[in-house]
Amino acid sequence: MKTLNRRDFLRTSGAAALFAATPGLAYSQVVGGPGPFTDYKALVCVFLFGGNDSYNMLVPYTTAEYNAYAASRQNLALLHTDLLPIAPASSAGEDFGLHPAMAATQSLFNAGNAAFVTNVGPLVEPTTRDQYFNGSVTLPPQLFSHNDQQDQWASLRGNVPSKTGWAGRIADLIRSGVAEQQMATNASLFGTNLFQSADETVAYVMGPNGPLQFEGFSTTPGGILYEQRQAFLRIVNETYDSIYERGFAEVQRRAIDAADTVSAAIENAPPLSTAFPQSQLGTQLQTVARLIASRDDLQMQRQVFFVATGGFDSHDDQNENQPGLLGGVSDAIAAFYDATVELGIQDSVTTFTQSDFGRTLTSNGDGTDHAWGGNQLVVGGAVAGGDLYGSYPLLEIGGPEDVGGGRMIPSTSADQYAATLARWFGIPDADLDVVAPNLGNFAQRDLGFMLP
Amino acid sequence: MHTRGRGKTMMKNRLITLLASILLGAAGCGGGSSDTPAPPPAPPPITKAEAFQFLNQASFGATEAEADRLIGMRYDAWIDAQLRAPTSRQLPHMLSLPPPQFMGQLHVDRVDIWFRNSLLGEDQLRQRVAFALSEIMVVSQLGALQGRPFAVADYYDLLARNAFGNYRDLIEEVTLHPAMGVYLSMLGNERPNPTLNIRPDENYARELMQLFSIGLVELNIDGTVRLGADNQPVPTYDQEIIEGFAHVFTGWTWANSPTFGSDRVPVTSQYTPMELWPDYHDTGPKQLLNGVVLPAGQSGTQDLADALDNIFNHPNVGPFMAIRLIQRLTTSNPSPAYVRRVAEVFNNNGNGVRGDLGAVVRAILLDPEAVPSPASDVDGKLKEPLLRLTQLFRAYDATSNSGRYPLAAAYIIFGQGPLQSPSVFNFFSPFYAPPGEIRDAEMVAPELEIATEYQNTFITNYMLLQTFGLNHTNPDLQDDDIFIDIQEEMDLATDINGLIDRVAGKLLGGEISDTLRTEIAGMLERLPETDATLRAAETIYLIVTSPEYAYQR
Repeated sequence: MKTLNRRDFLRTSGAAALFAATPGLAYSQVVGGPGPFTDYKALVCVFLFGGNDSYNMLVPYTTAEYNAYAASRQNLALLHTDLLPIAPASSAGEDFGLHPAMAATQSLFNAGNAAFVTNVGPLVEPTTRDQYFNGSVTLPPQLFSHNDQQDQWASLRGNVPSKTGWAGRIADLIRSGVAEQQMATNASLFGTNLFQSADETVAYVMGPNGPLQFEGFSTTPGGILYEQRQAFLRIVNETYDSIYERGFAEVQRRAIDAADTVSAAIENAPPLSTAFPQSQLGTQLQTVARLIASRDDLQMQRQVFFVATGGFDSHDDQNENQPGLLGGVSDAIAAFYDATVELGIQDSVTTFTQSDFGRTLTSNGDGTDHAWGGNQLVVGGAVAGGDLYGSYPLLEIGGPEDVGGGRMIPSTSADQYAATLARWFGIPDADLDVVAPNLGNFAQRDLGFMLP
Repeated sequence: MHTRGRGKTMMKNRLITLLASILLGAAGCGGGSSDTPAPPPAPPPITKAEAFQFLNQASFGATEAEADRLIGMRYDAWIDAQLRAPTSRQLPHMLSLPPPQFMGQLHVDRVDIWFRNSLLGEDQLRQRVAFALSEIMVVSQLGALQGRPFAVADYYDLLARNAFGNYRDLIEEVTLHPAMGVYLSMLGNERPNPTLNIRPDENYARELMQLFSIGLVELNIDGTVRLGADNQPVPTYDQEIIEGFAHVFTGWTWANSPTFGSDRVPVTSQYTPMELWPDYHDTGPKQLLNGVVLPAGQSGTQDLADALDNIFNHPNVGPFMAIRLIQRLTTSNPSPAYVRRVAEVFNNNGNGVRGDLGAVVRAILLDPEAVPSPASDVDGKLKEPLLRLTQLFRAYDATSNSGRYPLAAAYIIFGQGPLQSPSVFNFFSPFYAPPGEIRDAEMVAPELEIATEYQNTFITNYMLLQTFGLNHTNPDLQDDDIFIDIQEEMDLATDINGLIDRVAGKLLGGEISDTLRTEIAGMLERLPETDATLRAAETIYLIVTSPEYAYQR
């Protein structure tokens, strides 16, 4: 007979509601986190560094809305005839168009495997133009600054400084449920990042092609290279006097621990036939696909990958550079989706974009400056695709969302975006406020772009 | 496990130097005073370990030869000599080379001349400060400057030339340099055209304030964040001020450009300050910092001068630059008192001059807190990865048969290379705090941001290659392979303790932990006594990959 344990008791006693009403207290930390999971799921964050000009990624196609867009953007407006039309399920027809370099995304959208979340960005609470100017709402600080808004997307802590990111908090919440995993829940292929930073768990940082193995070390006892590895380990396992030596030694320790296991698993995984673009992003996503292919070897149940590419800070030469930038993202994400289909895992892997901010609708001559709200792309078999989520503003200078120069106030918060993904990932509703601390300030806890 | 007893003497040593320089300075400008200050007490001799500690802050890596020189001269005279040493430059070398197939190739030569100057230049302190400035006022070869290598080289020369000059001159030269003009898109920035919804580019205006001068929030003189009446940090600027500065920075483009918007300019334009085209400069009034508004109708040159004065005189600049430079040179976590002492020197060098960077550098290096206290575990810093390499290269007379150091992939291998940052935000953030005890203690360790599992493994593997493969005994060295000379160590191969002492002497100033010594000795005993190369390489490898070598005391 199954005995009711403490967790079951708390779960069935209405305690969840209590925790939901207590900000900062993690339900899972008290009752034990979700898991162990019986299935596998992965989130793949594609970060577009510099601030993607996403009002040229997803463009209004209906006449009046397109004309407002063209009047605002002037020399940076895409031609109506060049746009790739899409017909979102919730609209009357071909109401929007994609940047002409994004044909692969158009196909994913039409097949129901891609969605856009529109005019989303960091917010503390719902904000109108009047409230923005009269100071009656709390705003995220240092709006329009690269690193601050990157940090706000990562931490979702609005005006509260935070050293943890929402993927980091997810990993902390589920850590007891995924104790068997041979690799950290969070893996980055693009360096250290706040998004995956946590209190209890540590993200594993590998290279664009996966982990590097230490040359000159062997794990097979007997030889000199084994002794070399052991000596190296003893040196980094020593207790050091300064925080800097200790911090450095800890990274070396983690690197040695993970390199052999993860590299071996990748090598053992069957090769993928899906072709990837030979780009920075293509390479990283190919590696993610190979890591997903080796998930059973590594006993992985839940993974969050961080991949990224830069060059989106288009102050200059935007018209020349944008096709390559957006086409590159589109092709790499589509190839990655194809690889998940090849692996038969497309319903368990969700890819989503984040970026510093959207960009000004107005031009600075040949480019755009830092703004706020923008559009994000979500791709995967579990996405309620072929549709747009959130509201898409009228792209008008001086309009109801514009705080100046065509900087759009987000109508949907990054917290709602993250919480929708986290719920799909298996985080209980009561803990979504830990993942997205300002979620409670917004009416809609789930944007609906993920299938149940 | 380290011997830190030396700490107290060393601190006293530098404090005496600082006191002496203050007293001499006071005597120098006091003029008519008949009071002769008592001569400072004779300081104890500088030890080798102390000399290494100082030189790892003030150069591209301590060497035994430079340590001897410092011990003979003492700190102040050494700094004086460094302030006078002629500046090593990159551009003349770049211009002496035959024209390349395509411009980007020249970045290899730029990295080569960076290594030559950094490893071999007599102006070690100037080059080290230039490197620090290159991580504060960042431009990068990666991106729009790929095709402008002369501009990038000349920008570094600008930083070296102004390293001990005045900060006001430095920011003016930085602002007008075409490398910065391209990198942060002030070059070609035009006055507004409201009918086309075109407004000035805000890129340079924003980053000049956020990253090069005052930062986002108001600071006290000791670098702590000033809180307003609502107990919240006070922003230094808002969007309106950014737009004001963006309007100031209109009308500038390449020197000798055929049109305002042209990019077809002669090579000389890459290293000539940008020129003003008055018709493209906005003539309206401009909101600056601290309530200052520039009147309408000023020339572009006048607007620029006034705007840079406005920034230069903001009270944040002293503590801001103090923290940034202290973090690059001596410690990641300076006390407020240390920041205050340095910021006060920025505000007034003793002769009423604001912004004297030479005085600031001296104050940073001679401050008692530049010497780690044995009682503290947060003094000092992690060495930047590129500096771990240059220290090894300097200690082991690294060279190549071609005489070149074409390590253009430095940023891939080490996560860091000269003017090879991924963005204007540098290789790492001054605020980075890794999870765990450092974050919990509310401390930072900027360099740990790029010390990832991946990057550390890459560097460890490179060090294996450098020590075992790229040494002078290798008969298969290619012309451009940078190799180290390990003959002295090989001669000691049968004397395990002697060998370890020799390498520790060159790389650690003679101080090595018992653990590291024991582990090296254990490995050496397993290697054949007859294979001197292996034994020498093994010793160097285990030291240059060790946490204690990575730590800059």
